[in-house]
Amino acid sequence: MVLLLVGVSMLTFAAMSLLGDPLFNILGPIAGDTENPQNIALQDEAKAQYHLDKPLPERYVRWAGDFITGDFGVQFSTDGQPPVLNLVKERLPRTLQLMVIAQILALAIAIPWGVFAASRANKASDKVSTFVAFGLVSLPNFALAVILFYIFAIKLDWLPDTYEATDPFWGFTHGHRLIQLILPAFTLALPIAAVFQRLLRTDLITTLQEDFILMARSKGVSKRRVLFGHALRPSMFSVLTLFGINAATLIGGSLVVEIYFRIPGIGTAIVEAVLREDFPVVLALVMVITLAFVLLNFLVDLLYTVLDPRVRS
Amino acid sequence: MSPTNPTNVADVEIAAEAETGADHVVNKRLGFGFWVSVGWIVFIIGIAALAPVLPLKDPDANFLVLEERENPITGRMQEAPVQPPYAPSGEHWFGADQDARDVMSRTIYGARVSLTVGFAAIAFGIVFGGPLGMIAGFVGGWFDRAISYLFLVLLSFPGLVLAILITALVDRSLFTISLTLGILSIAPVGRLARAQTLVFAEREFVMAARTLGAKPFRILTKELLPNVMIPMAALALLGMAVAIVAEGGLAFLGLSIEKGSTWGKLIRTYTASSGDLESSPWMAFTPIGCLFFTVVALNYAGDKLRDYFDVRELML
Repeated sequence: MVLLLVGVSMLTFAAMSLLGDPLFNILGPIAGDTENPQNIALQDEAKAQYHLDKPLPERYVRWAGDFITGDFGVQFSTDGQPPVLNLVKERLPRTLQLMVIAQILALAIAIPWGVFAASRANKASDKVSTFVAFGLVSLPNFALAVILFYIFAIKLDWLPDTYEATDPFWGFTHGHRLIQLILPAFTLALPIAAVFQRLLRTDLITTLQEDFILMARSKGVSKRRVLFGHALRPSMFSVLTLFGINAATLIGGSLVVEIYFRIPGIGTAIVEAVLREDFPVVLALVMVITLAFVLLNFLVDLLYTVLDPRVRS
Repeated sequence: MSPTNPTNVADVEIAAEAETGADHVVNKRLGFGFWVSVGWIVFIIGIAALAPVLPLKDPDANFLVLEERENPITGRMQEAPVQPPYAPSGEHWFGADQDARDVMSRTIYGARVSLTVGFAAIAFGIVFGGPLGMIAGFVGGWFDRAISYLFLVLLSFPGLVLAILITALVDRSLFTISLTLGILSIAPVGRLARAQTLVFAEREFVMAARTLGAKPFRILTKELLPNVMIPMAALALLGMAVAIVAEGGLAFLGLSIEKGSTWGKLIRTYTASSGDLESSPWMAFTPIGCLFFTVVALNYAGDKLRDYFDVRELML
């Protein structure tokens, strides 16, 4: 797990160090000047200050040491060097809000949908639901964003079409961010829900063949109760695994969604930072994302034991 | 109604039968949907490849429509261009965009780039990831562990971020974009190749070849490669869909190929203002539709192909 983090950070570090020249971000056009001795002196000074004159491995070790102790470095920019940590603190909550809402929505859609499909396996309604799920999985998130935006924000005008970072979060009018996040969250949630639903359906169909389901049914427990009370819990494993793996997809998707819906979160920050060639920011954000991904998968492993006591041994 | 009852019973029986089988239903046919998907893929590749020959409108030409209008200053009637975009008509089947350019021919020309990127990316992934995964699976040991670790790192890295990084730092040519997406497709392709190789390396026919004194290279190319190629074909279709979508995503962020148009880029320009989207949705929905159908077709064909050959593998 730690090895994975090291690998990802090295890859990012190497890619950025080899492909770009951060001097331009610190000094502006002065960095391109190789004639004027005064400017060259300035360049050397900046290089020394940011340790850019050191060889790559040494810079990596320096950065890694700082990172572990919670110092994410400073943003490279021509006007002052605000710490990267401030940016992360400002942007991360917005992305997290979006993702949590999206995951809740995804599960809220997927569980009833999956149970419905499994209880009517291979009937016409199940075929239709499989068809819809397939379409949703194949629909790129930017296309889905446009379609949802067109239907719900423009044509029906049910949901707000702008995101204001300064608006209060809790509340149920167009002036609250909770409502402003619904459309972007749906864009993220629908394809995920479709994937979850298909997995849950397959698992449920297998579970419904088990003896304890037959037992419950013959005892006279209602079909609904069997589905939700008995069969659902042991059928959640694949969904749970995917819940962790899906974090990466969710992050990729949130990049596009944040840009389209103009949400100033982590995704927007990464795109901005890459375009500015602001290395420390990109590096820090990539690491935050990877860390979140690793932690989430770890949590999922823990959740297994809660769901199925047999795994504990 | 009495005629419905027997069919209902039959349905239930079939359903019960299928349920017990779950995923192991032996279905030796690719089905109608598969051929529709293949038909669409062939169709879209065909018109994209033949676009310069087909009687299409010039994608870069402006087709301003003139109308008789009263000049507000002179008060005389004179010809003046109508404000584009134009709604779909016999002249422009899918309308014309903000610059009065034909949406249909722009979408078809966009397909050329989008499909090329998709194909080049997955081809790159297969050419490099395939052998790497196969050798790792075959050789084993530290080499296998190193390669598996590399794949894991590549997979857990947010791919779009890497793509953004490279396109922003290098350039935005067709070559760079394809290469970037190609690098990203190495890991999934390689993992599949490795897994397949591991499975087949245990089989009797490989053992037989070994006993007969076949060299590792011969086993890899003559015994294992044909078996790895089959699931790879299915993955290639799925991977092409992913690459097309990824390029679209990049384009949507404004980071894709600078010259020419791609589907993602068209969607971006046609949805840039919500006013345009509201007044003339056909502009955005033409490339979205094309992209969607292509991705669905690739995914569906890939899925079917995978099911089809998995069944064969079970029967071997």
